[in-house]
Amino acid sequence: MILVVAEHRDGKLNRATWEAVAAGQALAGGQAGSNLSILVLGANVRGIAAELSAAEAQGVITIDSVVLEPYTADGFTAALAQAIGELKPATVILPHTYQTRDFAPKLASRLDRALITDVTALKTTGGVTAFVRPMFQGKLTADVVPEGDTPHFVTVQVGSFRADAAARGAAPAPVRALAVAIDASAIRQKPEAPFQEARQAVDLSQAERIVAVGRGIKEQEKIPVAQQLADALGAELAASRPICDAGWLPMARQVGSSGQTVAPKLYLALGISGAIQHLVGMKGSQTIAAINKDPDAPIFEVADYGIVGDLFELVPALVDALKE
Amino acid sequence: MKIAVCIKQVPARDWHPRLNESGSWIREQDAAFEMNEPDAYALEESLRLKEKHGGEVIVCSAGPARVAQVLREALARGADRAIHVEGEGFSGADAFVVAGALAAAMKEERFDLVLTGLQSDDQGSAQTGVILAEALGMPHATIIMEVQASETGLRIKRELEGGWFQWISMPLPALLTIQSGINQLRYATLKGIMAAKKKEIRRVEVPAAAAPRQRIAALYAPEKSKKTQMIDGAPAAAAKELVRRLREEARVI
Amino acid sequence: MRYWALWALLIVAVGAFAMQIAARMRLIAAAPGRFSSNQSGARLQRFLFDVILQRRTIRERPIAGAAHALVFWGFAAFAGYTSIEFLYGLGLADVTASPWFHVYRLGLAPFAGAVLAGILYLLVRRAIVRPPGLGDHVSAESVVIALFITTLMITFLLGFRLDERTIAGRVNWWAHMLVVLAFMALIPASKHLHLVLSPMTVFLKSPELGRVRNLDFEKEEVGLEAVKDLEKKTVLDAFTCVECGRCQDNCPAWGAGKALNPKTLILQTREALLAGTRDRKLGELYTEEVLWQCTTCGACENQCPVGIEHLPMIIGARRGLVSNGEAPEYLGAMYNHLERRRNIWGLGYDQRQKFVTSAALETFDPARHDVLVWLGCAGAFEADFQKSLRSLFEILRAKNVRFGVLGKEQCTGDPAKRTGNEYMFQELANANIEELKKAGPKTILTSCPHCVKTIGEDYRRFGYEVEIVHSSVFVAGLMRDAPAAKHPAAASAGAVTFHDPCYLGRYAGKSDEPRELISMFGDEIREPVRNGDNPFCCGAGGGLLFADKEEEPGSRISDVRFTQLQATGAGTVVTACPFCTIMLKGAQASAPAGGGEGIQFVDLMTFVNGRLKKDAAAG
Repeated sequence: MILVVAEHRDGKLNRATWEAVAAGQALAGGQAGSNLSILVLGANVRGIAAELSAAEAQGVITIDSVVLEPYTADGFTAALAQAIGELKPATVILPHTYQTRDFAPKLASRLDRALITDVTALKTTGGVTAFVRPMFQGKLTADVVPEGDTPHFVTVQVGSFRADAAARGAAPAPVRALAVAIDASAIRQKPEAPFQEARQAVDLSQAERIVAVGRGIKEQEKIPVAQQLADALGAELAASRPICDAGWLPMARQVGSSGQTVAPKLYLALGISGAIQHLVGMKGSQTIAAINKDPDAPIFEVADYGIVGDLFELVPALVDALKE
Repeated sequence: MKIAVCIKQVPARDWHPRLNESGSWIREQDAAFEMNEPDAYALEESLRLKEKHGGEVIVCSAGPARVAQVLREALARGADRAIHVEGEGFSGADAFVVAGALAAAMKEERFDLVLTGLQSDDQGSAQTGVILAEALGMPHATIIMEVQASETGLRIKRELEGGWFQWISMPLPALLTIQSGINQLRYATLKGIMAAKKKEIRRVEVPAAAAPRQRIAALYAPEKSKKTQMIDGAPAAAAKELVRRLREEARVI
Repeated sequence: MRYWALWALLIVAVGAFAMQIAARMRLIAAAPGRFSSNQSGARLQRFLFDVILQRRTIRERPIAGAAHALVFWGFAAFAGYTSIEFLYGLGLADVTASPWFHVYRLGLAPFAGAVLAGILYLLVRRAIVRPPGLGDHVSAESVVIALFITTLMITFLLGFRLDERTIAGRVNWWAHMLVVLAFMALIPASKHLHLVLSPMTVFLKSPELGRVRNLDFEKEEVGLEAVKDLEKKTVLDAFTCVECGRCQDNCPAWGAGKALNPKTLILQTREALLAGTRDRKLGELYTEEVLWQCTTCGACENQCPVGIEHLPMIIGARRGLVSNGEAPEYLGAMYNHLERRRNIWGLGYDQRQKFVTSAALETFDPARHDVLVWLGCAGAFEADFQKSLRSLFEILRAKNVRFGVLGKEQCTGDPAKRTGNEYMFQELANANIEELKKAGPKTILTSCPHCVKTIGEDYRRFGYEVEIVHSSVFVAGLMRDAPAAKHPAAASAGAVTFHDPCYLGRYAGKSDEPRELISMFGDEIREPVRNGDNPFCCGAGGGLLFADKEEEPGSRISDVRFTQLQATGAGTVVTACPFCTIMLKGAQASAPAGGGEGIQFVDLMTFVNGRLKKDAAAG
């Protein structure tokens, strides 16, 4: 059977779990006679389990223990090692989240089994499933096949499988509890409560999305236009040097060789020409989108997506498009 | 504190990988190699901890002869000595094999703290550090942003998704995988480079290799091209299209 | 009576002189390094022009320089007279009655008048007018020396009038001799030591501007860390400084209100040497902050009338800091980029390939190509400058010059060398030299003046010699031979001004060729203050391209220069260096509203190509 391990925090299920379920169902679909179960562990997980039972699955298994709250690598590894020993799945699927990365290799190595991480797709040919994953910073793609006895562990890249592709069952899947014995004293990590960084310190280097403005914004009074877009995207606002020199935005928001170096998932450059001192500060961004009136602006050389046009027309249109 | 830093030598970031004949790995002959960037941050962190608490920093790496280059680089930056688990078979090997070899070589040293980068720039499995912790019997924590050490143990700041963080206390000895960019890397100074020539790199025989746990069946270039996609049309339509591509293609929103 | 008194006084004065000189000679002897004396022809020529003809003294400050020249020539002329009077006074020989001595004395009279005029002018300038270059307090020593010289000339002239046998005559004679002796005793401890040392320092100064030797890693050299590491020429320079302030007046950092003052550095060196504090760290003596403010523009060295070489000292001290890991953060980042990606931006090599492919550039092959075009960091990665290079390629192709580029080009290492990271520099240099030797070009063409200096002069120290020429010089040569050299400006809008890059106008001495090219098209050229071979730096050099200038006092050097260019009223600024363009455009972007926004920056190649095409279109 295929076992999907769910992730949750503060009573909320992580959306990536549904992606893992979709992946698991895809894998099960490719293997005749296979079925899917979902495992959730923690303390007081009944509510989560109920949510999960909506999936098209054979069952939801809970491991409920105060020792498992909060999450610790030692605790989860101990619990899952026992559970997997009992359940004997062929494949265990988890979402490739920071939490999973923290314990999955430990679990796999304790059981001396294969773990393939950051999988973006499945390829089944002749009964053998290869797991597709990026290598060399995305420059190459690899089809990886696990070796050795089952269970095999697989973590799926967040966003690779679509959560809404996870099939819902006609009737709720049955929930059952699994008892495991965990020695609390053997848990060596003592975590404190998670927190968000204080908002005063602008740390662009940690931002996942950035909207940056350049001289194309023309006036200080127009900056709120960009701020709106930043808010709609859940992004930080940044700027090229002239904007900060003029005092329209604080120095902490300057991106470039004499400012911050950033590498967000998304960098949206508004009215920035792309002078090399600016480029140097944001070239590491995963995806770069640029809007500029000048089709020859150097920023388009490094952008993945570009629109030549008036940012004062395009930005409000983007805000609208994002609302949908 | 006796600190170990595990570093990996990977093909240079801007080198375009070419495949070998069987398509099972890259052509290493044309590649330029450098220190894995997250490992460089781990090394920097270890040097800062040494400056603060005293002790020594030992860098360890498993790989073919060419790996000595990054070990020398680490010594030039301030590490005290190096352990080189030498073997040709480490190119393209999976995390189990590498971690197993490192553990065997590192066990007797009885390190107080082991640091590694959170993942490598080539395979990027993000497993080696954690498997190594299990093999050495140490508690571990991953994606660490800040390290505070004292006699009683560690207090480390772990990064969670979405701008959340968490402090964790752990006893020593322990292993941490370090997040990129947590500090400012120092460059190898001239004095460091000269001193490095006199520092020890101990070569260790490859212990009976652990069985590999995965096999690369095929390696190929993805279809996606790196050309700029220009989006035309009236503002409203272009905006919609950009949002669509960011959402579905690039998957950044 | 007079003999013995004079002997006694002479011995005292010579003794005082010798003791002080000896102390300084010991310091020079104890200093490491060697004096250089290669290219003696060029050195002798400079000696002739700068010492004998006082060229550098006069050029920067014409009137004061002329006054000094008069004093100097007078001093030289008087040498014979003074010696003869001493020989007489000491009872060794008496030719004072001879007729040719009489003629000599008469001939000296106009010199005495000139010296008086000169020294009085200089005294008034120093004590009353007090220009900033001379410091903020009047140097008592200078006033005393000026009064001495005045006394010497007056007593000399009075000597025509007063008979030696009278009391007045004898007093006058003794006054003259005593002043000479007092002068001698005072020379070593004052800035007038330059009288003895400057002929040496001028000769020993390298013909190469900003010459900084390679560090020998086999000998574990790390650069200058403490006062005791300062090399022989630097120590000599410290004692020869005349405190004139020409270096300070021309330093762009000082001119922008920063803390760096080249004159202060030299005087601090002198003070530390005399105090005997050999172990004092240079980073603490000069202060590190000051050391990092230098753009290596070379104005200080170039203006110095006594041959002081500031750059080896500043760059040497930087090396000491860098070797110990004490470079500022922005340089650390730049070094990491150079190490990993072999260019200052940290950009991937595939970007250079994109440009090479899109500009249809061939790999250099000596059998098929006349010149090798060196793209440089900016050429390979900076979109703006690539436009200029495309213009250059069009010009070359139109003139049937066959050219190719190097397959694997790395940064020449200029930013590493000028900021003191000698290890990185040598790594890059050796790698490039290997590639260049394999490619085997006879002539290298580049649009970056920094590359010209580095490949043309610094690489020579590794044994690699090649002719490298800046595009302005090469293209001017191409156009000169063209049949119709004069092209009418096809509707040029407004005046044009040219900003001389420091590494082209000053280091390479090429300021005519760009103007030749611009004037070919009939545009009106306006000159900014500080041009030609003494431009005001754009502020990019010495690693300052990446500096976080917000925390610095004063303004940005680039802002000051932009204001100077703006003041010409020209609508177009022509540049010939990628970094000048980056800095000045940045200054324009940051300038307060009002005036500067309309100024167009055009690289020289783009300008020339544009005009050529306009011409062709016009018929």
